[in-house]
Amino acid sequence: MKSLKITLSFLFILSLLLTACGGNTAPTAAPDASGGGEAPAEAVPTAAPSGPISGGTVIIGTPQEPQILNTLLSGSSIEDAVISLFIEGLIQVNENGEYVPVLAKDLPEISEDGLVVTYHLREGVKWSDGLDFTCEDVTFTYEGIMSDLSQVSTSGYSLIESIECLDPLTVEVAFSEVYAPYLRLFSYIVPRNAGEIDQMETWDYNQKPTGTGPFVLEELAPGDHLTFVRNPYFREEDKPYLDSVIIKILPSRETGMQLLKTGEIHALWDVTEADFPALAQMEADGVSYVSVQNGDIEQLVLNFGANDGSAPADPAENPHPILYDLRIRQAIQYAINKQEIADTLLYGNVKPGASVLSFGQYACDLPVSEYDPEKAKALLEESGWKSGSDGIREKDGTRLSLKIATTTGNQLREQTEQVLVEMLKQVGIELVIENVPSDVLFAGWESDGMRDHGKFDIVMYTTGPYIFAPDSHLYSNYHKDSIPTAENEGSGANFSRYINDDVSAWIDDAFVTTDDAQRHEFFCKVAEQINKDIPRIYLYDRLSITAYRTEFHNLVISPSFVDFAWNAQEWWLEP
Amino acid sequence: MSMGTYFLRRILQAILTLLVISMVIYGLLSTVPGGFMTVYNVRDDMTPEDLARIRAKFGLDDPLPVRYLKWLSATLQGDLGHSFTSKRPVTQEIVERLPNTLLLMGISLLTTLLVAVPLGILSAVKKYSLFDHIATTLAFAGQSLPVFWFGLLLIIVFAVTLRGSDGRPLLPGAGMYTLGQPFSLADRIRHLIMPVTMLTFVSAAGYMRYLRSSMLDVINQDYIRTARAKGLRERKVIYKHALRNALIPLITLIGLDLPSLFGGALFTETIFAWPGVGRLYFSAALKTDYPLVMAILMIEAVLIILSSLLVDFLYAWLDPRIRLS
Repeated sequence: MKSLKITLSFLFILSLLLTACGGNTAPTAAPDASGGGEAPAEAVPTAAPSGPISGGTVIIGTPQEPQILNTLLSGSSIEDAVISLFIEGLIQVNENGEYVPVLAKDLPEISEDGLVVTYHLREGVKWSDGLDFTCEDVTFTYEGIMSDLSQVSTSGYSLIESIECLDPLTVEVAFSEVYAPYLRLFSYIVPRNAGEIDQMETWDYNQKPTGTGPFVLEELAPGDHLTFVRNPYFREEDKPYLDSVIIKILPSRETGMQLLKTGEIHALWDVTEADFPALAQMEADGVSYVSVQNGDIEQLVLNFGANDGSAPADPAENPHPILYDLRIRQAIQYAINKQEIADTLLYGNVKPGASVLSFGQYACDLPVSEYDPEKAKALLEESGWKSGSDGIREKDGTRLSLKIATTTGNQLREQTEQVLVEMLKQVGIELVIENVPSDVLFAGWESDGMRDHGKFDIVMYTTGPYIFAPDSHLYSNYHKDSIPTAENEGSGANFSRYINDDVSAWIDDAFVTTDDAQRHEFFCKVAEQINKDIPRIYLYDRLSITAYRTEFHNLVISPSFVDFAWNAQEWWLEP
Repeated sequence: MSMGTYFLRRILQAILTLLVISMVIYGLLSTVPGGFMTVYNVRDDMTPEDLARIRAKFGLDDPLPVRYLKWLSATLQGDLGHSFTSKRPVTQEIVERLPNTLLLMGISLLTTLLVAVPLGILSAVKKYSLFDHIATTLAFAGQSLPVFWFGLLLIIVFAVTLRGSDGRPLLPGAGMYTLGQPFSLADRIRHLIMPVTMLTFVSAAGYMRYLRSSMLDVINQDYIRTARAKGLRERKVIYKHALRNALIPLITLIGLDLPSLFGGALFTETIFAWPGVGRLYFSAALKTDYPLVMAILMIEAVLIILSSLLVDFLYAWLDPRIRLS
């Protein structure tokens, strides 16, 4: 235990030294672990002017470059976030994680049998080129999504049997089977005059898009910036408050932090938990941040199958010599002090992982796994793993040694691994770190991906449900049909090769249940059973963080990053 | 061997080299793990059908030799293809960035020479003097400093810590000009100062050391001693006789450096958010945007081969012995 503390404090001091270089105020005290950076969900700056002021230009920095502004062809989350400045959906997600109607008047009506969904569109909405917004835009968007050229997910849309305009402002969507998470559909609408669907890739629209949102693109300087100005046809009187929003492409997050400090940019996207200490130091320079949980969880994925690349459809055919035993998985979980990781490495800004659904409308009330090294030791003894000469346990000549892999170059993950190594060593499990570049870790089946082919013991990365519709995530990560094998060409993300027939059945049931309370029940049954079977260990809940200068007001982020600019018309700048 | 045969042989060699280069780069790119599909593979909401559709769309299902031949035949017809991520023609992407890179690299090359040539000469002439020691040490530092670190250091000092009288940072930390303001030459120059300084410091070091040793070589030649012996003034010896001869290898060096005017400086452009070809390449490589990466690398390869051809021809013209060997 002592060496663990030493490691932790060493890492702590090291990270302080590293981050201290950025400050010109040279703080002497460490950021307080308990209250250093409570997430100001509604950040109310002190001494703010009484109300919004019209005018001004906000500059938002991002280290990633948005390459294309046609949402049907975009691939990265930064593109979706930028697109949300001018593209709106029928329904979007607000800061509390609730569905709110945007281009629809209300949330849609659903028929008794759950097969027909009817949207009533908002009246008097115009595109930024003056065109009226009608039902035809919705059908056009649907055709775009289903086209051979589209680069977006068709999940849910592929179940649509017909989509019809009852009148210019009423859309009736008929599904071939019940699709319970239907509210997540049509979260973006593309104008019908964008071009011919089969020429989507060469549309002028891709560089000169129009939208119904508060802003419209004025200038695109590749590699440098994008300038958005007020949409003259925006439906709300006197809004947006800002004259323009500039998205500035930055070389790195480090540069972004410096520019934020000097006031050259007003907000910075893509800040991570590792930046908390630096953010705390920049408070005096007028920098603050908003953070919101988004469903992502930093987690360990444990392999039930042998790590020899055989990729069995059922791990029982070729089980992992160590991890297939539930008692070992329990022991590993008991040996990990999640609270300590959250407090020490993440300065108390995150919550230790409790379950796959710890947040949002389908949150399940499940406790964080217990930290009890004694129980871990007892379980290992019971399963026949006895202490060897160097403190690492052995059984029939096999060492209790596991490999852990994560993405290289991520300091926080590397620190976490070192802490895990120490924690597991306390109970006699050896953890060997063998990290790989992220492209290797996340490679697909056809590129001989290590996760797909089961060539690992434990991998650590972030994933999590879309909290408003966890169906897809639960299906692809925990359903028995989502185990990547040669037969299904590696589709699915159930890399643990976890099979529990009840869990699979509950996931299937939730998909076709329209009653929300019942869906919630199914989800929580799944989450609870997963916690018993431990295919994964949830370390901590991740956050979406945006840093901003305090003169920039009303920046409220939605748990769905895609809807970043969902309230951009409310943004305003203190002169 | 006549001059004509020599040229023909060299040109054929160059074409063959380019072909091999293209094969090697294409092959290496295809071994990059994960590749372009990674960004889609990690998304839960992508169905297997979605992934298959996207793979097919980008022609990633074809076997490697087929993909290469398709690329080669399109390229030979002058079609460099469309970027995977932005869908725009690759040529258009590059042409948009080229002026920015030419501006930065052109000015840097100029300042590099302005710094390196006088320093190199003085260092050689005043060999082992205090000045020589300082200059050589600085040159060593310039060559061995990690560019990335040095760039961030410049930013922290001049764009963060040091403030002007108005409380604003002394120099802008990123970009080519201040956003949202009308064109101003002074503003452009302010944005150029740090990247140009960095490039100059790093590459002047190389030039300076090269010129110094080449000067030293020349100074020890018999004809310099003869010049001195016949009573010429030292100034005249150095600038008229020694320098001219010492500059010849330097011109070769500059010739070989010219292609970098196109390719830009990857690190510098990245650190200072300079929207040039170097950064375009960097972000394309990160996203495994094959058409864009291939195009930039191949143009660079063509330019390097062309400039070395040019240098060879110049040499052959100057020195007939080279043709025969």
